[in-house]
Amino acid sequence: MTTNSRSLPPPARSSSGWALFIERHPVLVFTSPATVVVFILMVFPVFYTVYMSLHSWFASSVTAPEFIGLANFKRAFTQDERFRNAVWLTLYFTVLATAMQVVLGVALALLLNRPFRGKGFFRSIFLLPMVATPVAIALVWMMMYNPTLGVMNYLVGLVGLGPFKWVSDVRLVIPALAVVDTWEWTPLITLITLAGLATLPLEPYESALIDGATPAQMFWRITLPLLRPTIMVALLFRSIDCLKTFDIIYVMTAGGPGFASETLNVYTFQVGLFYFHIGYACSLLVILFALVLGVSLVLIKVRRGSW
Amino acid sequence: MKICKAVVALGLLAGLLLASTAQAQQFNWQQFKGTQLRVLLNKHPWQAAIEPHLKDFETLTGIKLITEVYPEDQFRAKVLVELTSGASSIDVFMTMPAQEGLKYMRADWYQPVDEFLKDPSLTAPDYNWNDFLDKTREAMVIEGKLIGPPVQVENVSLMYRKDVFQKYGVKVPTTLDEMEAAAKALNGKPMTDDGQPGFGIVNRGKRAAATSMFAGMLYAMGGSWLTPDREPAINSEEAIKAIDMWGRLLRLYGPPGSENNHWYEASSIFSQGKAAMYTDANSLWPVIEDAQKSKVIGKVGYALFPRGPKGQYGSTVAVWGLGMPKTAKNQKAAWLFMQWATNKDQVFKVQTEKGVLGCRDAVWKDPKGKAKVPADLAESLAQGSKVGTPFWNPPVVAVAEVRDAVGAAIVTSIQGGDVKAAANKAAADMKRIMAETEKK
Repeated sequence: MTTNSRSLPPPARSSSGWALFIERHPVLVFTSPATVVVFILMVFPVFYTVYMSLHSWFASSVTAPEFIGLANFKRAFTQDERFRNAVWLTLYFTVLATAMQVVLGVALALLLNRPFRGKGFFRSIFLLPMVATPVAIALVWMMMYNPTLGVMNYLVGLVGLGPFKWVSDVRLVIPALAVVDTWEWTPLITLITLAGLATLPLEPYESALIDGATPAQMFWRITLPLLRPTIMVALLFRSIDCLKTFDIIYVMTAGGPGFASETLNVYTFQVGLFYFHIGYACSLLVILFALVLGVSLVLIKVRRGSW
Repeated sequence: MKICKAVVALGLLAGLLLASTAQAQQFNWQQFKGTQLRVLLNKHPWQAAIEPHLKDFETLTGIKLITEVYPEDQFRAKVLVELTSGASSIDVFMTMPAQEGLKYMRADWYQPVDEFLKDPSLTAPDYNWNDFLDKTREAMVIEGKLIGPPVQVENVSLMYRKDVFQKYGVKVPTTLDEMEAAAKALNGKPMTDDGQPGFGIVNRGKRAAATSMFAGMLYAMGGSWLTPDREPAINSEEAIKAIDMWGRLLRLYGPPGSENNHWYEASSIFSQGKAAMYTDANSLWPVIEDAQKSKVIGKVGYALFPRGPKGQYGSTVAVWGLGMPKTAKNQKAAWLFMQWATNKDQVFKVQTEKGVLGCRDAVWKDPKGKAKVPADLAESLAQGSKVGTPFWNPPVVAVAEVRDAVGAAIVTSIQGGDVKAAANKAAADMKRIMAETEKK
């Protein structure tokens, strides 16, 4: 104890340099741990990815990264068929999945917003898919989609359709995956829309009633326009998520059959972590980043009504 | 007969002489006493079987072992990262030469062991390298250099329902044509007790996963991945026939949705009794004969992969082996470990105790050595590993990428697309990938 106490610094006086500095710049000092963490874990990797995207590096100790300027991007846009296929599939999946989710999600929210018995119970039930683990969901859906043993073919058989090959069919695989995503994430849109519905003012409805408007007119003319900002937020969240969906696609098809469900994220994962073309994978990530940013900016503009 | 006897007598004499010289210069297992070896193992049946015996090695040699075991994905990543850093302290690691061999060799990460094997002061006289099944030895040689001994082997082989073939009077196929005929004849026939129709054949169809089994058909057809001067040969006439047949069998006589089947899916269809034939690694036999899950226990025959139109063998010889990095500090001691782990006694132990599919002919010839596995499996494995091909993977640096390129053509074939165009595209992709990753 004695040796220990000897090595302790003398009690700080408010006149010492450090203490003075802390007193004068509390914001700078107290946020610094968070700033450092954010910088190391988020800002640095983003810039390093951009930096690496300008290099050619086939990972191994014998070949060092080689600066090649924009050649990776040129290759992606002009020579790489798998990249073009991946971009198209990413957009296809995103549009399909978000469209289904928004329509179903808003409809569900309107339904759940009416007063009825057991409302709380049904609300909770409808929100359950969102809390399940995506990988587990994917595995369960994979069984349901099984062409010979799965329940999906039985269900469509009841209405005289099928049998389909679902995720093994080049044309059906993206819609089939979008259905899984929709099943899981529609509740999120419902949740956000319900919150939006709760904040709607009553006055417009009252005056509409007095003017003799029908329920349909009230929905199209009042509810939907007022809900627009809320729906746009939900749409923004979901489209960003859909653009970078990885888990369910990788678990269910790993991009297959062939490359028929290889979205940009799945392709990048393959290029970086299986083929070890680190530089090229980084440039694909930069492109994905730009894509997500672009879509977000457009949606934000739409939301503000400036378009 | 007299000549025979004379030869035997001579052999005995020579043997006695050899034995006496060997006794005179008793092999010194203790020469590196006090050193330490860091051994990285993949979680694998062989690792599980050898681990209880490692203390015997420490007693025999006085060398201390520090072993680390990781599940396969983490194991591969760990080895790769350590070797990439150039400052690895690994002395021995498990390696799959057809998967990472060329990449590691070109990066100069392997320490070849040819010199150690030849050196009588480092290799025990009874090690008998030539006892290893021919192609398992070949599989451990990369660009002319031996990287270590093999510890486990598996082949793509034909697994078939003995009961179904007998019931419908179909001959067990030994050629590709017979296999197609059998698939056709048996497709749709009831194969389970509930009388539900089964499939003629089930195989992997998932992009990259399918290629390692498709390799059997490629070589049986007389094709290969590359020409002798390392040009892609996946669009040769033979290769196109092989791609076409792999897809055709699954399209016409296989389960729908084969395009997404890895071995988990394919083996489960087979072990549920829903298919008459299945060509995959014979190391899957514990899955097929799993007492808890399988419905076909004791009903499955194991045979060589059917032979091609000109009698070519399609058995692939896939080995796990031991390797040492160039950076290993105790290379000679590491060689002692490799040698001990694969000498006849140890191979016999892991094979008889845990049913590990070992690589030594003498052990497979021993009735006790094959007691743990089905008799026809033991026979076909020993034969296949002598005559098959070690190239179950394309012999390139960027294995995963090339497998995806070839796998895409296989998927096209399953779906009934233009096989020739797909093969040409796969060849063009292979050429580009090789040019990018094998810069000299």
